[in-house]
Amino acid sequence: MESRIKHYNNMLKNREITCTELTEKYLSSIESDNKDLNAYVTVTADAAMEAAKKTDEKISRGEEISLLEGIPMTLKDNISTKGIETTCCSKILEGYKPIYNATVWETLKTQGAVLLGKTNMDEFAMGSSSETSYFGGAANPHNINHVAGGSSGGVASAVGGNIAVYGLGSDTGGSIRQPASFCGIVGLKPTYGAVSRFGLIAYASSFDQIGPITTTVEDSAIVFDAVSAYDKMDSTSQGRKGAPTVDTLKNDIKGMKIGIAREYLEGVRDEVRVCIEKACEVYKSLGAEIVYFDLPALKYALPVYYILACAEASSNLGRYDGIRYGYRTDAYKDVNEMICKTRSEGFGDEVKRRIMLGTYVLSAGYYDAYYKKAQNLRGSIVNAFKNAFKCCDVILAPTVPMTAFEKGNAISDPIETYLTDICTVPVNIAGLPGVSIPCGFGENGLPIGMQLIGNTFCESTILNAAWQYENAVGSEVFRPSQYGIKL
Amino acid sequence: MKYEMVAGFETHIELATNTKIFCSCTTKFGGDPNTHCCPICIGLPGTLPKLNKQVIKYAIMAGLATNCEIANISKMDRKNYCYPDLPKAYQISQYDKPLCEHGYVQLSSGKKIRLTRIHIEEDAGKLIHKRGDTYVDYNRGGVPLIEIVSEPDISSVDEAKEYVERLQQIMRFIGISDCKMQEGSMRCDVNISVRPVGSDKLGTRTEIKNMNSITFIGRAMEYEFQRQVDLIESGGQVEQQTLRYDDVTNTTSSMRGKEDANDYRYFRDPDLVTISVTDEEIDDLRKLIPELPFEKAERYIDEFGMNEKDARNLSKYRRIAEFFEEASDGVKTPKTVANFIIGQIFRRLETEDDKEKFDVAITAQQLKELVMLIDNGKIRNNLAKSTLEKMLDTGKSAGDFISESDMAGMDEGMLNDLCSRAVESNPKAVADYKAGKIKALKSMVGFVMKESRGKADASLAEAKILEILG
Amino acid sequence: MVTHDDVIAIARLSKLYIPEEELDSMTKAMDDIIKFADTINNASEEGVEFDNINNLSNAFREDEVVESFDRDEILCNANDIDEGHFLVRKRV
Repeated sequence: MESRIKHYNNMLKNREITCTELTEKYLSSIESDNKDLNAYVTVTADAAMEAAKKTDEKISRGEEISLLEGIPMTLKDNISTKGIETTCCSKILEGYKPIYNATVWETLKTQGAVLLGKTNMDEFAMGSSSETSYFGGAANPHNINHVAGGSSGGVASAVGGNIAVYGLGSDTGGSIRQPASFCGIVGLKPTYGAVSRFGLIAYASSFDQIGPITTTVEDSAIVFDAVSAYDKMDSTSQGRKGAPTVDTLKNDIKGMKIGIAREYLEGVRDEVRVCIEKACEVYKSLGAEIVYFDLPALKYALPVYYILACAEASSNLGRYDGIRYGYRTDAYKDVNEMICKTRSEGFGDEVKRRIMLGTYVLSAGYYDAYYKKAQNLRGSIVNAFKNAFKCCDVILAPTVPMTAFEKGNAISDPIETYLTDICTVPVNIAGLPGVSIPCGFGENGLPIGMQLIGNTFCESTILNAAWQYENAVGSEVFRPSQYGIKL
Repeated sequence: MKYEMVAGFETHIELATNTKIFCSCTTKFGGDPNTHCCPICIGLPGTLPKLNKQVIKYAIMAGLATNCEIANISKMDRKNYCYPDLPKAYQISQYDKPLCEHGYVQLSSGKKIRLTRIHIEEDAGKLIHKRGDTYVDYNRGGVPLIEIVSEPDISSVDEAKEYVERLQQIMRFIGISDCKMQEGSMRCDVNISVRPVGSDKLGTRTEIKNMNSITFIGRAMEYEFQRQVDLIESGGQVEQQTLRYDDVTNTTSSMRGKEDANDYRYFRDPDLVTISVTDEEIDDLRKLIPELPFEKAERYIDEFGMNEKDARNLSKYRRIAEFFEEASDGVKTPKTVANFIIGQIFRRLETEDDKEKFDVAITAQQLKELVMLIDNGKIRNNLAKSTLEKMLDTGKSAGDFISESDMAGMDEGMLNDLCSRAVESNPKAVADYKAGKIKALKSMVGFVMKESRGKADASLAEAKILEILG
Repeated sequence: MVTHDDVIAIARLSKLYIPEEELDSMTKAMDDIIKFADTINNASEEGVEFDNINNLSNAFREDEVVESFDRDEILCNANDIDEGHFLVRKRV
């Protein structure tokens, strides 16, 4: 699989295309395809053309350009962009234009990235289908009757549908990996602390991480290397540890130990299990060793995740009161009623449910039984993974137990939908890096993804394993969609 | 039945850091509304707090100066409540692992008021209610605070006042806060209950919120004490509630509304990491704690034989104490230095604020030079006094106002001559004296002092005149 | 079992209004979610103390002033402002 970023970078450097032309192409494909995909909620055509022009001027002056310079890309709508509407796809933030840039966007902008627009997501990143978005869900580029997944559904739809070269999403319980899996592309959730969260509108602060959604593993490595730096604005930031991941991306993996935790395969669809088994065979043929073990601590991962993430969310979302920014209700008696009405009208049902759950588990009398207990079980899960990595280098697991849902199915039963996060949340609980890459197709023709999980700050290892797999089977598991511009 | 007061304090003190606790905005008091603000302190979505190191240092110093144990490991928690002056709808504070615990403040009686804890947190913004509209200014939002929580060890209004004064002096002395109650940089909540004298059972308490003057604290406590006693005497019961003190009517009233169903849902702030302080770091901060005012006062009494009032006045403000100590270092009569400061210099410092700033024209060294002249018998007190006034007006040194001849002093011959003239030229005084009017002696000494322009030693002159008169 | 009263109390803390007609469905939804959350109490193990991910400590900032934002920027996203303040006007 050829890196798209490198492909365009070469074309720009060799003057086979100008950045303005490339950007125009992407903007016109958004114009035609976004009606179907609903991937973008804001398109920033003028700013994109302006950035493209700058790159062209640089090239015409004969200056060097970096890999990401002039490459058209997108950001999930929860990443703050100065002067550009950033809504988290919530009515409560309609019209809100940040007065500062998220660190990741500042970094990419400085490197000359061309922002095409902001992409759709579940409201405040709470959901698995992007259908809780105030602007309606994003469609799966492989079949628009199915969802793109969530919560970073818009980025996955845009990248899978090639109306953006790459994008940054955020992953709190699977929100990068799950939509990447549904859309047949690559999604990397970095180690907690590898990428700055400054400017990422918080859902659950101790779980949230920003990461790339790309079509190839190499692109994922390139973008990750660019945004994984220590940021003094984020107390939990550490940056990437060690050399850029592209340096070791193509190393051979003879002797690498790939672990399979049996718990991950319980309850997944047969077609998904078969894909994982096939992947094991591929890895064996590449000289890796497969080891099997148990991770019983995973049994409680889902409730632990929902208790802790909702607790943090209930606090993080308290600030939407209609005073300093965002939506405000029209009629009220006093300030308190203004705040309550604003929030009741501004938040969607799923967000309200999670705020209520979070408030409940933190409230007097329930804290110990829920929050405290969940926090301790989080500790157990962290330790269980630590032990697991004593006997393997990466863990291979399904990303989602099934292929993309049909539209409208996800939101009918919240608990059923929560259960689909079973394979992705453990990584967030333990703060580990995980990458989802395509590994096959279901009966319905929709992509199936698999997940490679590494020890903390071992992005190099999982990307290396992912690249080797992709290199071995690439075209069998990747199909371009009918949308977007063709290479 | 006789009742006694049982009171405890929660005191909020704004720390004198340059920047806010979680962002780099200034902490300067005042300023046009919302001009000391940034995305972090107005809680824009996506922003994150970054803890100001100086806040930790200052809070630990407050703990050390009040005899607290300092926690090697602590953390920040979120206190969740929604109010327009709190931009994130939670206050970042410390819940179960405060930086400092188990300290005390000692009163002049020797009684120790125990401190439960001192923790750090952020201040809220300011609300202004006008004609039913609510105006919000976040300049103060995010200014660092310490909250000092005492045990209910205070049993009178006088103890309460002294406790607050001592806290104020300590914090000013160690330089971590200006503790200006009128500007809100020191605010007190008082928990108060009553019980029959001799009982060891605590009564139901009420909490008087947000008091910003020592006088009002005294009045509010007196009022509330009497209200509770009257209530119990008339067969009623004290209801646990939060009160507001109205300084115009001198009454307390219930503040219900803001606190309905308070459940702060404390949990650890996931945006901030553990605070870890080593014993070495604590010891380094301990070295920065100067001798405290009450310790100084005791020493002044012991070493210089000063009376308690003077000792307290001189030790109350750090700049004054340092000025005094420098000026009296090596002089024979530190009390003279003290008198000059308390007398002439204090006359020029009208307010407590002026004393705190201690903006005077002369240096301690200049005062010391002046006092040394007295010590060496070169000039007399009267001349020194008038010279000091001139020095304070101009900032110049004693030498600029006193001539060589002024300082020459008087040899014995000159004094003898003057005394003889005093007797010769005042026959009436001599006659009066001989007739038994002792006072007449004073007028002859006065003659000598006048003629010598103050340079003569009055007691020597008196002795000489007596000798001449036989 | 989550009751109507629980839901009303939690909603008040959350600064949300649950309309009368949605009270049943919200109570049911909350009950389902709490039952789901309750499964952690089946865990035989007590778990281990969790500090913070990556066990970090002492991320501090130096006490150096950086110029604040322009007030116009600070206020630019507000619904209502007056005399340099954020404003919530009295309504009927």
